[in-house]
Amino acid sequence: MEGGAVDVIEKLEILADAAKYDVACTSSGVDRAGKKGQLGATSAAGCCHSFTPDGRCVTLLKVLFTNACTYDCAYCVNRKSNAAVKRTAFTPQELADLTIGFYRRNYIEGLFLSSGVAGSPDRTTELMVEALRILREDYGFRGYIHAKAIPGTSVELLDALGRLSDRLSVNLELPSQQSLGLLAPAKSRTSILAPMRHIHDSIADDKESRARKRRSLTVYQSTAKPVRRARAFAPAGQSTQMIIGATPESDFQILNLSASLYTNLNLKRVFFSAYMPVVANPLLPATDAVQLNREHRLYQADWLMRFYGFNVSEIIDEENPFLAPDVDPKANWALNHLDFFPVEVNTAPLEALVRVPGIGVRGAKLIMRARRQSTLGEAELRKLGIAYKRARYFITMNGAYGGSGVDFSRDALHARLSAPIEGGRHGRRAAKVASGQMTLFESVNQPPVLPETSAANRAALDAAFEAQRRALAATAPAAAPHAPHPLPHARTKAAAPEPAFALAG
Amino acid sequence: MAGAPDIYDEVAYAYDGTLEGLLSAIFASYANREVPTDVAPGARLQPRLGQRVAVIETNPEHAARVLSGVRRVGGWQPVLALKRAACSDEPDAGTAALRFVRYAMDEQKRRNCGTCRKKSCKGRGGGGPCPRQRGRAFSDITHPAVERLFQISRSIGQECEHMRQFVRFTHLAGEGQSLWFARCNPKASVVPLVMGHFVERMSDVPFIIYDEVHEVAGVYDGGDWYLVNTAGNGDLQAALPDATADEALFAEAWRTFYRSVSIDARYNPELRRHFMPKRFWKNLTELQETPGLRKT
Repeated sequence: MEGGAVDVIEKLEILADAAKYDVACTSSGVDRAGKKGQLGATSAAGCCHSFTPDGRCVTLLKVLFTNACTYDCAYCVNRKSNAAVKRTAFTPQELADLTIGFYRRNYIEGLFLSSGVAGSPDRTTELMVEALRILREDYGFRGYIHAKAIPGTSVELLDALGRLSDRLSVNLELPSQQSLGLLAPAKSRTSILAPMRHIHDSIADDKESRARKRRSLTVYQSTAKPVRRARAFAPAGQSTQMIIGATPESDFQILNLSASLYTNLNLKRVFFSAYMPVVANPLLPATDAVQLNREHRLYQADWLMRFYGFNVSEIIDEENPFLAPDVDPKANWALNHLDFFPVEVNTAPLEALVRVPGIGVRGAKLIMRARRQSTLGEAELRKLGIAYKRARYFITMNGAYGGSGVDFSRDALHARLSAPIEGGRHGRRAAKVASGQMTLFESVNQPPVLPETSAANRAALDAAFEAQRRALAATAPAAAPHAPHPLPHARTKAAAPEPAFALAG
Repeated sequence: MAGAPDIYDEVAYAYDGTLEGLLSAIFASYANREVPTDVAPGARLQPRLGQRVAVIETNPEHAARVLSGVRRVGGWQPVLALKRAACSDEPDAGTAALRFVRYAMDEQKRRNCGTCRKKSCKGRGGGGPCPRQRGRAFSDITHPAVERLFQISRSIGQECEHMRQFVRFTHLAGEGQSLWFARCNPKASVVPLVMGHFVERMSDVPFIIYDEVHEVAGVYDGGDWYLVNTAGNGDLQAALPDATADEALFAEAWRTFYRSVSIDARYNPELRRHFMPKRFWKNLTELQETPGLRKT
């Protein structure tokens, strides 16, 4: 950094602050060995280099290229009409120098580049491509780069962006098209899904042409086109994110949407971001209680779909469109399928082991490994790091049931497994007693009231959702025949569940 | 052992604290036909009552034989575990390593592969090692002889990951040549285990990673890397040039970034301490006060 160093630090402060609501900060998905004389390498597992006071990891230098934006999305701090924010922009060279400087000091694993829409999507993407080109070509940087594709960017620029970065992502912003139309009028379902589909196709094409080239080495007169030696197109795949709790969509809709994104567009990750009020707007909930609990449960369900072999229909159904707040989704599934248990740990297949509450993927693999040699009992399972306290009710060990003494019924086991998220924290702020548990000093302990489940918060949400409903009815009379979104508190069966995003189309 | 006075009924092996030393001690256990109750680096060994201490000379040839034997019997996993155990600060790491190797070798001998039809198998009738049995000993992680080495190996693996995450380099102003320097305070002497990682991604510049606890430094000179023992020479950093002028700016930029990406509404210090234990904070740039602020 030379002359304008202080200026760059100021810009960094503004543009990092503006980018902090982007959730994704992963450096995973691609293994690239280092090259002698060049800076950087990536590992498939990723690496977190720091953790902020809110416990979120810092893996990448997450900044906006500019926070000047021509769009006016209601939920966004960088919206055009928000005069309180100071606008600035990096130059491509400044950003590249900053990235290299941070990377050399092992502060970061690479760059996460997003941007407000400065003028037009194409103009903005051109600037981003230029910054990445300096990094990759002038500096020979081999670290991780995650770039946000801006909806409405032309295909050629998207290709250039994908060739320079490891992961691309397009923000879905909100879980349904009605909400999107209402809160982000400049974006639409098609303008978001089109680049996602294009990225998906480009990744598939790229893999296919590379595979053909590899194969053609063994074939006389190759039919494969000679592929120009180019960087792989987004080798770490694509991801997306959406805001949870600003609009009335249910967990059922959100999880079905992410399941279809995983199957139809091969996304690597779908991120959820609990809504946080950053701008006052009558259409948005005016409450400081961030729905962290709900976000956490959604991520748990997401993990079940991606690593535990659960189908979305096993996790959530229309009858109960919201995930249970007091037990995690896997325990909830187990409580609803007691006929599946107990599972014999010494013979059960991996798919059955990972369905036991208290046994994760890692634990199940250790069990598979250890039981080749010896018979597993309680002591052995504890040694392997299994959460025996939870697992015992659902397993037998060489025929001996682990949970004797407790009634094998839904209610009795539910009381044993319910674990409020606050209870997981240590220290002062921990809720020491689980809900429903008897204590000596109070007759029945009241469950801790999280700010996000308080009546005031509920009222704020209801008011905002009601305003959204009225605004929708006013702006889009064509949509009126459709049943409105069921509100989360009214657990009525939706007559026809609206597909959040129709991906088949 | 012949000639040993009767008052000793146990023996402890003291080695020099290196991987080769540890493997030589394991070799010596076979050569002397005795099972020591403790195997530890000489500096850290505390002899028990009635325990004779035998100092084991490090012999690279013996070490190589033990390592290839373990690889033949158990594959790459126990080899890695032994390398990690040699870096551990745990007092029983050496003993755990010896116990595992003896168990794995015995187990291999006992194993009768009967119907095995693999051509490379010499184990019919319970003779030599069978390739199909390779890795079995180390996979029996609930066995008392394996459990401890597995635990140690896992905790060293975690410490290596912490180093890959939390080592912070500073740019030193050398004469004509630039040098990058990092200091760290790991729980085990893991610098040799993580040098490869940093050489791979920073192969274009020379750098030093200094472990202030174990007083060793990994030095990369642009071509190859070495492990240097700095014990007795004071703090290594005192002998090195000062940081460049840029350094303070980049550190300040990083602190600014760290401050601005945090979201107050999600404040959760327990979670941060869980992922980033406080013992690392003193060497983390982002958690130091800004020098300008401290003066006021």
